[in-house]
Amino acid sequence: MKVSLNWIREYVDLPADLTMERLAFDLTMRTVEVEGYENLSEGLKNIVTGRITEVSPHPQADRLRVVLADVGLPAPEQIVCGGSNLEVGQMVVVARPGAKVRWHGEGEPVEIKASKLRGVASAGMICASSEIGLADLFPSGDDHEIMDLAGIACRPGQNLAEVLGLDDEILEIDNKSLTNRPDLWGHYGIARELSAIYGCTLRPLPICTVDAKLPACPVEIANDDLCRRYAAVAYAGLVNVPSPLWLKVALTKVGMRPINNLVDITNYVMLAVGQPTHGFDRTHVKGEIRVRTANEGEVLELLDGRKLVLGPKNLVIADRENPLGLAGIMGGRQDSILPDTTEIVLEIANFSPTCIRHTTQAFGLRTEASIRFEKHVDTQRVDQALGLAAKLFADIVPGSRITAFTDLNLRPTVPPVVAVTLSFLSTRLGSPVTASDVEKSLNPLGFQVEADGGLLRVATPSWRGTGDVSLPDDILEEVARMIGYENFSYRAPVITLEKPVNQRPVQLDRNLREYLAFRCGFQEVFTYPWVEDRFHEAAGFRPEELLAISTPPSPENSRLRASLVPGMLETLVTNLRYFGSFKVFEVTQVFRPGAMSPSVPEEVLPLQEKHLAGAMAGSDAGALFFEAKGVIASMARFCQMGPLSFARMLEPVWAEKKVWLNVMAAGEVIGSLGLLSLKTMKAAGIKNTQAVVFEINLEKLSPLPSRTNGFRHLPLFPLVEQDLSMLLDEAVKWSEIEALVGPMVREVEYVEEYRGKQIPAGKRSLMLRVRLGSEEGTLTSEQIEAQMQSVMKKLNRQFGAEIRGV
Amino acid sequence: MLEKLESMRSDSLAEILSAGSPEQLQEVRQKWMGKKGLLTEVLKELGKLTAEERKTVGRLANEVKEAITAAIDRRQETILEEASAFSGEIDLTRPGTAVPAGGLHPITQMAYDLNDIFRSLNFEVYAENEITSELYGFDHLNFPPEHPARESMDTYWIAGTDEKRGAERLALRPHLTGASVRYLQQHGAPARFVYPGRVYRNEATDARHERAFFQYEALIVDRDFSFASGQLLVKSILEKVFGREVDVRMRAGFFPFVEPGFEIDMKCLVCGGTGCKVCKQVGWIEVMPGGSPHPNVLKAAGLDPAVWSGFYINIGLDRLVMMRYGVDDVRLFHSADLRFLGQFR
Repeated sequence: MKVSLNWIREYVDLPADLTMERLAFDLTMRTVEVEGYENLSEGLKNIVTGRITEVSPHPQADRLRVVLADVGLPAPEQIVCGGSNLEVGQMVVVARPGAKVRWHGEGEPVEIKASKLRGVASAGMICASSEIGLADLFPSGDDHEIMDLAGIACRPGQNLAEVLGLDDEILEIDNKSLTNRPDLWGHYGIARELSAIYGCTLRPLPICTVDAKLPACPVEIANDDLCRRYAAVAYAGLVNVPSPLWLKVALTKVGMRPINNLVDITNYVMLAVGQPTHGFDRTHVKGEIRVRTANEGEVLELLDGRKLVLGPKNLVIADRENPLGLAGIMGGRQDSILPDTTEIVLEIANFSPTCIRHTTQAFGLRTEASIRFEKHVDTQRVDQALGLAAKLFADIVPGSRITAFTDLNLRPTVPPVVAVTLSFLSTRLGSPVTASDVEKSLNPLGFQVEADGGLLRVATPSWRGTGDVSLPDDILEEVARMIGYENFSYRAPVITLEKPVNQRPVQLDRNLREYLAFRCGFQEVFTYPWVEDRFHEAAGFRPEELLAISTPPSPENSRLRASLVPGMLETLVTNLRYFGSFKVFEVTQVFRPGAMSPSVPEEVLPLQEKHLAGAMAGSDAGALFFEAKGVIASMARFCQMGPLSFARMLEPVWAEKKVWLNVMAAGEVIGSLGLLSLKTMKAAGIKNTQAVVFEINLEKLSPLPSRTNGFRHLPLFPLVEQDLSMLLDEAVKWSEIEALVGPMVREVEYVEEYRGKQIPAGKRSLMLRVRLGSEEGTLTSEQIEAQMQSVMKKLNRQFGAEIRGV
Repeated sequence: MLEKLESMRSDSLAEILSAGSPEQLQEVRQKWMGKKGLLTEVLKELGKLTAEERKTVGRLANEVKEAITAAIDRRQETILEEASAFSGEIDLTRPGTAVPAGGLHPITQMAYDLNDIFRSLNFEVYAENEITSELYGFDHLNFPPEHPARESMDTYWIAGTDEKRGAERLALRPHLTGASVRYLQQHGAPARFVYPGRVYRNEATDARHERAFFQYEALIVDRDFSFASGQLLVKSILEKVFGREVDVRMRAGFFPFVEPGFEIDMKCLVCGGTGCKVCKQVGWIEVMPGGSPHPNVLKAAGLDPAVWSGFYINIGLDRLVMMRYGVDDVRLFHSADLRFLGQFR
């Protein structure tokens, strides 16, 4: 929201030595966030008024003129100009060297320099209104029309900003910081805050006194919950003309386009006091004004030409026959103020914020009026608007008079009285406060404080009493902010020592991530919980069986993942563009239809479990698979959790049929690892690579209370290492070899396998390493020989192993 | 004989000095001192001499033997010093062998840094499910029934529940604060805990806006907790994160679940408060909102607001990480792009 400092000064005299920097800081610290401020005259530097004294043709160009203009200097300046409406004696706007203008109102501002135009010297430029950002104030007929200052009191050589009243600071206030403060959506509210901050007096607004004998302006309110107050003032003797310059300037400065005097008054009132008002041509109203909900299917054409099909949740202003406008949001086309309008009904009303918000959301219609009503304006605000409007009509539209008046104030705002103790305030502020401190802080804001010993009864002003202030904590905030948060010193909290925090699952989560990242060389990634359907499908999920978002980021991204595999497939695609081999992992929740109630039984949430997934891309499928297997096999030891094992129980849909394993914990399948099948890769768009993926349900892991590695004594006598190479049928698995050899030696270890030219089909060469040793003494070569012989014999007998070498 | 020994001394010493490697030196040693070495042979013949001759020749022979031994030892040392363990050429400017790639996401790193700080202050780490209900996401947090954040244009409601209300209307959580009520319901007060996590908003994305982003929220609930203490907590935490003293200010801010509520600013670390591009010339950077839990939130958590008070802070992790590294596009965090993530090891 834009706030004009000159406008604020209508209501309060700010300290003479107050800098903008200070004002922005104080308002930010105590009330609302000032995002920035700007003096409008900055953009109009070196732009002055000038009187044309001579116009002659340009010797080189038909469309250009050579103008002499008095710009307050001893001699007139010569300026080349292409304006179509140049006349001797005309007061115009001259951009002198150093000024910045936008050529034809477009692009970035350009600095004016004294130069030659088609051979003729030109000491500046005579501007069109759009070239200096004033098109709203001075609309022009065509591109070549220069801005004419006829009717504006000025003499040559004055700064234009000064002449037009644009020498003003405009503050930009963050609307977010205003959401809870309906009182601040007008200049008067901001002025009130500043008067409280700086201890200056806030001037009262004009009051409207209406002749009691005036006839009523008939109004019917069907639902006083939706329309709490409705004042209708009929004005006659009006003429629809442009507003006086000061009013147009006031509106333009805060970003509102001037329309005509009647509409501008209603907008000015809203921007001054925060109360939206609406004027409509009285001759178009048939019978009484009815404030009612719309009938199902009722059609209303708005001011902007849009046609809405309404329903019973929408509140309309209607006459006896038709809806005239959408209450509190926008007027209708039928009732709008027209060039020939001489009589209007000025509506100053109070509508339910809920109803307004509902309707704006239903139709995607947000207006300056609806934004204010949504914040919950108090009904008393109508009085301020009535007073200010009456004064403006009297000042600006000389022949105007009030001919009828009605004010139905059915549900006045009743602001709360909050009871709060001094001890509560002192404790929570962290420093003692007295009743007079509280009074000093709150009175300027309109609160009334009544002290009874340590108990205060704080009466809230109506403009803060629509929900914003109702609790002792709200009073605390008011006191604290007026004292100034920057004036409270730091205070260390008193903390009692308790037993140390020990959260095993939290620690396990971190151990796992650090294990994968730092020990195994995986990069952690985050992907979105919504995944494109094609990745769900590639990972074997039917999208229609997954949870979905009702308004998804995009139609193909509406389903939530039930597994991290789809995200891993997408991550593979993303990175294969740049890398040939890499390893990534992700830890997060997945979602499945189902039921669980983590907090209270009435809240039933879908199943949500934390999973861990990894993906590895490279060229050697076997190497990738066994690396993944190794990563999972060592997880338990390095991350301090219950052991994992492998089995083939449930085939993952995405895996190559031969190359997958399930991860098991406590006899249960808790995950899988496998090589991506060709079909999966094709569906996901993964090309020219091999990739292994794994996924584990982390909820099924059991963190250990601490490290549980046992200690084993070092061997008393040195162990002897022997490698054994053999030829085996493919049917014989390593696990069988290990089970056989293991009990016969101290240690047995897989070294390598080989399939190739020298090896007959259906067989592989396998090398294993054993360690032999004894607790009685160092083994002799005869003992070693004997032990190796028995291992070899047994391998041969059991599996037909053909020993190729020791 | 004496002459022979003298010439053996000079010959052998010359040979020792010319030996260039341990192997050559060993050959020289064998030649002179070995079982059949030249000097050894001479010594064997000593018996054949007269007692008189033996005395003078024996003395000289021993002298020569010691001289050869000493020369060999010296030469051995010299050879060791001069010898190279590396044959051939080596380019020492070649890069070292790369350590295994891999690392934690920068958001995780920041969350762990914060966890470490809060753990040292005896805070617990808590996590809530990502799909929550309107009851916990809004109702318990003092959001008015018609609050715009409840609309589907702001929140990702789960299909099939968006026409329902309260506990039955489900959404990807719009913020973390709902988790605080769950925790307090379970554990009661006093309480000190953090609950980092990802939250979701239905909005248009650009370099500064994301649909999925990370927050780090902390709540302390105790008897009579003043916001002067909250301010100190914030300051301590930011100083740990940035590793140096920072100036903090709190100013009025409005959020439904706090009363009073604050915006917490940190003096710009780039310009030191004088105003620069990073802080948009303000000198301060908004780092987090915070405030005391609203009495209605404490009531929803089953706590008596007359007894308990506290302090929330909610840190935007994405924003903090962006500030830490100068990252200029928030969407990179969910890109899963290793060219980006690989920079944060």
